[in-house]
Amino acid sequence: MVYLNTIQSSDIIVFFFAGLMTIILLFGFILYFLFTYRHKQRDFNLLQLQKDEIDTQKHLLENTLNDLKLTQTQLIHSEKMASLGELTAGIAHEIQNPLNFVNNFSDVNIELLNEMITALDNQNYSEIKIMLNDVLMNETKINDHGKRADGIIKSMLQHSRKSSGIKEPININTLADEYMRLAYHGFRAKDKSFNAKTETDFDDSVGPVNVVPQDIGRVILNLITNAFYAVSEKKKSTSESYEPIVSINTRKKIAPGGKPTVILSVRDNGNGIPKEAIDKIFQPFFTTKPSGQGTGLGLSLSYDIVKAHGGDLKVSTKEGEYAEFIITLPIQNG
Amino acid sequence: MGIQADVFDVFYYCSLLISAAAGCAYYKKTDLPYKWLTTLMILTLVSELIAKYIAFGIEISNSVVYHIFTPIEYTIYVIIFINFIQNNKLNILLWTSALLLLLFEIGNTIFFQPLQETNTNTMIAESTLLVILSLRLFLKIRATPSQQNILKRGDFWFASAVLCYYAFNILIWGFHSMKVYLLDNPPQIIYNVNMLLSGFLYITFITAIILNGMPKHQTP
Repeated sequence: MVYLNTIQSSDIIVFFFAGLMTIILLFGFILYFLFTYRHKQRDFNLLQLQKDEIDTQKHLLENTLNDLKLTQTQLIHSEKMASLGELTAGIAHEIQNPLNFVNNFSDVNIELLNEMITALDNQNYSEIKIMLNDVLMNETKINDHGKRADGIIKSMLQHSRKSSGIKEPININTLADEYMRLAYHGFRAKDKSFNAKTETDFDDSVGPVNVVPQDIGRVILNLITNAFYAVSEKKKSTSESYEPIVSINTRKKIAPGGKPTVILSVRDNGNGIPKEAIDKIFQPFFTTKPSGQGTGLGLSLSYDIVKAHGGDLKVSTKEGEYAEFIITLPIQNG
Repeated sequence: MGIQADVFDVFYYCSLLISAAAGCAYYKKTDLPYKWLTTLMILTLVSELIAKYIAFGIEISNSVVYHIFTPIEYTIYVIIFINFIQNNKLNILLWTSALLLLLFEIGNTIFFQPLQETNTNTMIAESTLLVILSLRLFLKIRATPSQQNILKRGDFWFASAVLCYYAFNILIWGFHSMKVYLLDNPPQIIYNVNMLLSGFLYITFITAIILNGMPKHQTP
């Protein structure tokens, strides 16, 4: 402990030397830190720049996606309106028939009522009774045809309305038959020279099918319109002996899982679908029609609608001979 | 020598007083670790005033103040480092180190340096721990770079100040323990260097606080 009572100059030198070393070490450490940090910061800034660029691109893509979604919605609406346009002539034709009946029977009723007035003057009651029965029968027919016209208008409104998305049990045979007639008259309204044989073969055992009527109606209409287009194109390019035929049929089938399904097929004896186009026909915007005549969305939307119903849409074709679109839908699909 | 000592004393107390006052002024604008840093400076000022009063008012050894204050000071540093480093695994280790330092202080007081003597052993232990913590903070800063200039980052200045000051503290209190504490007339320069470094420590602390309290400009 003796050395503790004295402090030598060498001790102070050691102290200052140690202090100097500490300063050098600390200074070196901080310089090293700043150097490595600068490198890290440079990498970080580069990453940040890339991240910013990615964010910008992401926002750009999001905007583009939104624009595309909007355009898609507009196109779907246009497609719906286009199909409504195709229907218009058919609907007009369908309404014309009941309207003619209404007009004719009301004319007959006016005549009958005038005759009844004369008969009343002559007090010919037995004749009045017969005429009253005729008026009553005519009124019943007027009422029936009025309801028929009302039904057509309601169908048209239902088609143009936004799909409710609610499934309800419908008679698919009636729906197919109705759209076949509407599509045929619609097509004829556009092309007066067009003529085709339409065949239907409906399986009555199918019963009610749980579907969204507006959506499935749109699919059937689209397939039938395409079929008419196909046969009309073939008619234009082949001999007089060619007879255009479009057929629609339904049948009930039990699927491998035991679930009952309905198979609805639309067949035409047109030119069929070329091999190179067969893989693309369900793709959006793919069309074989000349520019301005088709959006290329019809089959794509039809495919989506059928899939959304838990069903399937397939095509069978032979080039130059026929094309057949087969819809399979589950009957009890809640 | 006496005049020199006074100058160093004045420098130390002035820097501590100004730093504590500036810390209070910036208190609301700063983040949590800097708020604790201000608290630490205020507590240091209070402990130094008490120590002065005991030394010159009651005229007994004021070492008792440092025996109490050293574990408190380290605990506050632990809180500051926890807030800076933000590593849950490290938190337990830091709290354990605070508890161990307290136990070390009690053992040191009972067996080696009683209340009448300066607790340099505890100070050396505290300084060693703080040097390690400051190095850990440097690692954390390097691992989380920002676009901001490093010289404008409060945590960088805080870590630098703690590293430099406590590295020298190990040297000073080590030398003190080994060579000079039993001398009748120890060389004053050692304590003057300590005063000078302490003054710079608080000036650097307030620099860190002001930098943190300044409005932050984010790169868009």
